[in-house]
Amino acid sequence: MRTARTLARLLREDGYVVEVEYDSEDAIARLDRAPIPDVLIVDFLLPHADGLAVASHGRARSAALPVLVVTSYSEVLARLDRRLDPPAVVLSKPLAYGDLTRALDGLRTAAAAT
Amino acid sequence: MDTFEVESPFEEMKRYVRFTDDDSRALAAFGEVAAPHFERIAAEFYERAREHQEAHAVFTSEEQIERLRRSLVRWMEGLCRGPHDGAYFAERSRIGRVHVRVGLPQRYMFTAMALIRGSFEELVETMPAEARRGTRAALARALDLELAIMLETYREAYVARIERVAEREQERLRGELARSERRAASAVEIARVMVVGVDAAGAIVLFNHEAERVTGYPRDEALGRPFGELLLPGAARGEGDRLLGIASESEAWEAAIRTRSGRERLTRWLLSPVPPTPDDTAALYAVGRDVTDESALLEQTRQSERLAAVGTLAAGLAHEIRNPLNGALLHVTYLERALRRPDGVPDALEAARFIGVEIQRLSALVRDFLVFARPAPPNRRPCSLPEVCRRAHALVADDAAHAKAEVQLDLPATDLTLLLDPDKIEQVLLNLLRNALDSVGGAGGGRVTLRARREPRQALVEVEDDGPGLPSPAAPIFDAFYTTRPQGTGLGLAIVHRAVSDHGGTVEVESRPRRTVFRVRLPLTGDAPATGP
Repeated sequence: MRTARTLARLLREDGYVVEVEYDSEDAIARLDRAPIPDVLIVDFLLPHADGLAVASHGRARSAALPVLVVTSYSEVLARLDRRLDPPAVVLSKPLAYGDLTRALDGLRTAAAAT
Repeated sequence: MDTFEVESPFEEMKRYVRFTDDDSRALAAFGEVAAPHFERIAAEFYERAREHQEAHAVFTSEEQIERLRRSLVRWMEGLCRGPHDGAYFAERSRIGRVHVRVGLPQRYMFTAMALIRGSFEELVETMPAEARRGTRAALARALDLELAIMLETYREAYVARIERVAEREQERLRGELARSERRAASAVEIARVMVVGVDAAGAIVLFNHEAERVTGYPRDEALGRPFGELLLPGAARGEGDRLLGIASESEAWEAAIRTRSGRERLTRWLLSPVPPTPDDTAALYAVGRDVTDESALLEQTRQSERLAAVGTLAAGLAHEIRNPLNGALLHVTYLERALRRPDGVPDALEAARFIGVEIQRLSALVRDFLVFARPAPPNRRPCSLPEVCRRAHALVADDAAHAKAEVQLDLPATDLTLLLDPDKIEQVLLNLLRNALDSVGGAGGGRVTLRARREPRQALVEVEDDGPGLPSPAAPIFDAFYTTRPQGTGLGLAIVHRAVSDHGGTVEVESRPRRTVFRVRLPLTGDAPATGP
């Protein structure tokens, strides 16, 4: 929670518009409202449901929504491939902030290209 | 009668009714009177028989009746004429057997004799008065002797029939026995288990096909050889001679056997001693299976389960390490930025403090993990359980104040000493108490009770709280790295479980909102399972 807040602060300082939900139920409720975010970042483990449930819900709202999953379980990679199409970008913890922003930029570029 | 001869049945019957030569003479005299009436009496006799269903049933034709009639006339002539000797008896018996053979029911012997008797009585009436009494007596004796002979033939026939039936029954039983013996023998032969019989001295007396297959010894080589000498490798050879002794202690027996080709196979046997019988020397039957491959498979399964457990543990550990590292690393990034800003000092301090918290979390994780993964064997000595409880209670005073919770001590009036490792049990109590305090603290405060009781065979320690309870009753709370708390290492209850198990005790939980109880039971005797290396 504390870490998510700090991450949001760093991203805002770098010019991103960030909304944070700390619970998967809240996140799912937020995704039901407009505007749909350009990129969804989820932790694999969240209270009440896993991050993939949130990601799936986001994809249901917007089929091409770029998803970035942060996880400390390396085996999640294999499971993600089967559950999300197009696949999510997976970043392993501990997360280097530079890697995250590079991934975000990559997703934004890809989204702009389609 | 020659006194040295055995009395014949007929002589015996005659003696019984006192039938004498006087009777024979009286019958001869009666014959003089009666002979002209024999044809008529015989005719009347068969007319009467026709009236009765079952008597009539034995007649096959008029010619036959005619023959029977003549035969009855001869019978009456014979009765009067005599001589009433052995030949007479034999002839009368032959006639009786004819009745039996044609199936004339036995009761008609009596009715027929009553008819004859009635007809004779009419004739006696015609005799001179002084002769009548002796004639009647002679006729009564003779006719009853005739009846006795007839009934004897029926008895012979019944006995013969019963004997035949009995013989057939025995024949059937012998066949059945032979069949069931064959079945038992082929069941033993084709069974996919080794069946080996040994006598009291340990020599093999039965060796089935599967035993041949597994051991490689053909039957003729195995029979008569001592079990141990044939099948057990050197050091274990003596066990073969002690099979009966082994069987008296335990039905199950595991043995490495040496096959004919010299390979060792692991076999598992069920031993059944049999009471000795005069015609069989077998003293014990051993039914066994070759479990070499099963054991290898089991060992492989165990090994892969161990690897899977290690893998799960490693994944759990990785997860627990990466999360604090993730938090710390992000805060380092944040710290760098804050330090570059002129007004960034408060933010930097905050970030640095957070990094410290995460490092402490990592440090706690490593400490707990080592306790969990490399537990020292319990160093048990007689200790006062209430004393350990009091110490744990004192140690959580700060946590209790922080959680706005009250911890009550509920201890038995008398001391309770048992064999335990006080440090480990204290750790158990601390972990349970801290969990309980976290639970009530998260709900804004509450009450925690630490209770100790003596039970008949064990000591009971309960940690009870009135917090919100476990989120799910089925959750694997005693598994390593299972945690519901953001700051938890997921090892607290795993450590509790291991420490209690090492003491030979049990731990269980009962949870619902406002009442969660962890119950730890420790044996009073101090019996504990052997601890692993």
